[in-house]
Amino acid sequence: MFNKVLIANRGEIALRIVRTCRRLGIASVVAYSEADRETQAVHLADEAICVGPPESRRSYLSAPALLSAALVTGCEAIHPGYGFLSEDDTFAEMTRAHGLSFIGPPSEVLERFASKAGTRTLLAKHGLPTIPGSGMLRDDAQALSEAERIGYPVLIKPSAGGGGKGMRMVRSPRELQQAITVCRSEALAAFGDDSLYLEQWLDENRHVEVQVIVDRYGNGVHVGERDCSVQRRHQKIVEEAPSPALDDGRREVLAESAIRAVVAAGYENLGTLEFLLDREGNYYFIEINCRIQVEHPVTEMLSGLDLVAEQIRIAAGEPLGYGQADVVMRGHAIEFRINAEDTEHDFRPQAGVVENYLPPGGPGVRMDSHLYSGYEVPPYYDSLLGKLIVWGPDRAAAIGRARVALDELVIDGIVTNVPLHRALLAHRTFLDGEFTTNLLDRVGSGAFLAASRAA
Amino acid sequence: MTDENRKTTDTAGRATIARLAAETLPRLIERLTRSELSELEVREDGWRIRLRKPSAGNGAMATATAKSTGKRAHAASGAPATGSPSERSSGSARGLHTTHSARVESTKGTVTSPAVGYFVSRDGVAVGIPVSRGDLIGHVDVLGMRQEVVAPIAGVVKTLDVEGGQAIEYGQRIARVEPAESNVQ
Repeated sequence: MFNKVLIANRGEIALRIVRTCRRLGIASVVAYSEADRETQAVHLADEAICVGPPESRRSYLSAPALLSAALVTGCEAIHPGYGFLSEDDTFAEMTRAHGLSFIGPPSEVLERFASKAGTRTLLAKHGLPTIPGSGMLRDDAQALSEAERIGYPVLIKPSAGGGGKGMRMVRSPRELQQAITVCRSEALAAFGDDSLYLEQWLDENRHVEVQVIVDRYGNGVHVGERDCSVQRRHQKIVEEAPSPALDDGRREVLAESAIRAVVAAGYENLGTLEFLLDREGNYYFIEINCRIQVEHPVTEMLSGLDLVAEQIRIAAGEPLGYGQADVVMRGHAIEFRINAEDTEHDFRPQAGVVENYLPPGGPGVRMDSHLYSGYEVPPYYDSLLGKLIVWGPDRAAAIGRARVALDELVIDGIVTNVPLHRALLAHRTFLDGEFTTNLLDRVGSGAFLAASRAA
Repeated sequence: MTDENRKTTDTAGRATIARLAAETLPRLIERLTRSELSELEVREDGWRIRLRKPSAGNGAMATATAKSTGKRAHAASGAPATGSPSERSSGSARGLHTTHSARVESTKGTVTSPAVGYFVSRDGVAVGIPVSRGDLIGHVDVLGMRQEVVAPIAGVVKTLDVEGGQAIEYGQRIARVEPAESNVQ
């Protein structure tokens, strides 16, 4: 096991990783940008080291700065968190070249799963159904002919990265031509790679993902699924498990086929396989995330596992040490992403000082957040302020606890998306477990909020 | 829109104006003063505030120092209990705060680290020697690559805060150069 780990991330996930390191008796060093000096992770870590200016490119995305920080502080491993360099195979390779361990899949595994188009082909070979789509697009002419073959509407997707950036649904060749340029530049800005591919558009679908853990020796388990169907412009807002759209039999089939395929394809460490689920209950593999996910606490609440600890153990070369029968899932959990966004004004990101912060509590309530009263939300990074996770013996109980917890949560001084969560908890479609990924965008978030106020 | 809704909107509008004037504006000014930006624009609830910094004067710097120090104390007291200081090494958050305030207080003569790595001083650099603007003070070794550290102004090396071979972080003060014919303290 490692003695000292560098945490190359910020916000709630940096804090989350510090906590697990402390519990495991591993010294933690938080690498931070000048904008994140006054943060909980920096205060709570055993050490902290400033790696660059606020601009991510020169701090959280700077491989030399992060590696140098790990070396001068005597770390043995780097935890990249999510986003930033977490799935960058070159960074993982550089980490190894400097004699350090990368807490995540090894570079050759990241490389094998780096291209979304390539991963679909690979996992299709190992038995996962995939959505009809194109390979990597060479040019606009090929995009048009591929879209014609697949059939409109199609979804334009960047081959590297996720989070909804560089993604557009188009209904006609004309829309495709307009959108493809925008998608290329968005993908290039967000991931440094402008390669795109196309996927058939499923109009009424749910997003369900399977959590997997695979050690270096090919032992793997799944830790059930998460339903992330509440989305706005392809960004997840609420995640829950188990999925209200699956019965136990189908749940089992989905999770089993996922773990079988990734183990066969040589995956290693923590990962998430994302699927679309159509109305008829067919599932299609769309992509794999080779990192810890924002929504990992949902799975932790059901399984009792510490997924960050599992990542660290596996990266240190430890065998999994348990089998599928040992993974027991209990109850229902829901996560609400609390973002600094103005839901009334097109979800505009907010920056500023959090005057007063009071997290909720009580049985089955967990708040993963880096906020404190007086914390200044910097304008340079994403708008995630934290995650409220509730657990209950069943879905209705979890929803009841969520209502109380959201009412209890105090975040003064900055506008958040909490009104949207309240609206969701009053909305019949959500309460019935019938949410689909396009619902919010189709109804329009503004109309959605207004309807809930009127109700 | 119903009358009820409109009333709510108007009240919210007035509340926004009050909040912008009383809280947001002073904070933005403080933030701009502290930052290296010359201009700052913020949009909120249909309101737009744009601030432009006049060419930086010493007076503005002094104000920024006082305010940011006050805020730092506030932030620290608002944060949850941290680990015992004795557990922390020399690179701890506590030490870093000192570095930060030094940067804010300093004038143009402060030499800060451009990168994380090991500092290597140039032979002959010592307290008391005269330097010209752009003279090499040393370099930071970042994974075997050199990042040069140069004198930002002409003057005399007043302090050398980092020893050769010492690990340093980004922005850490390496030295201070005092202008040659200046009566600044």
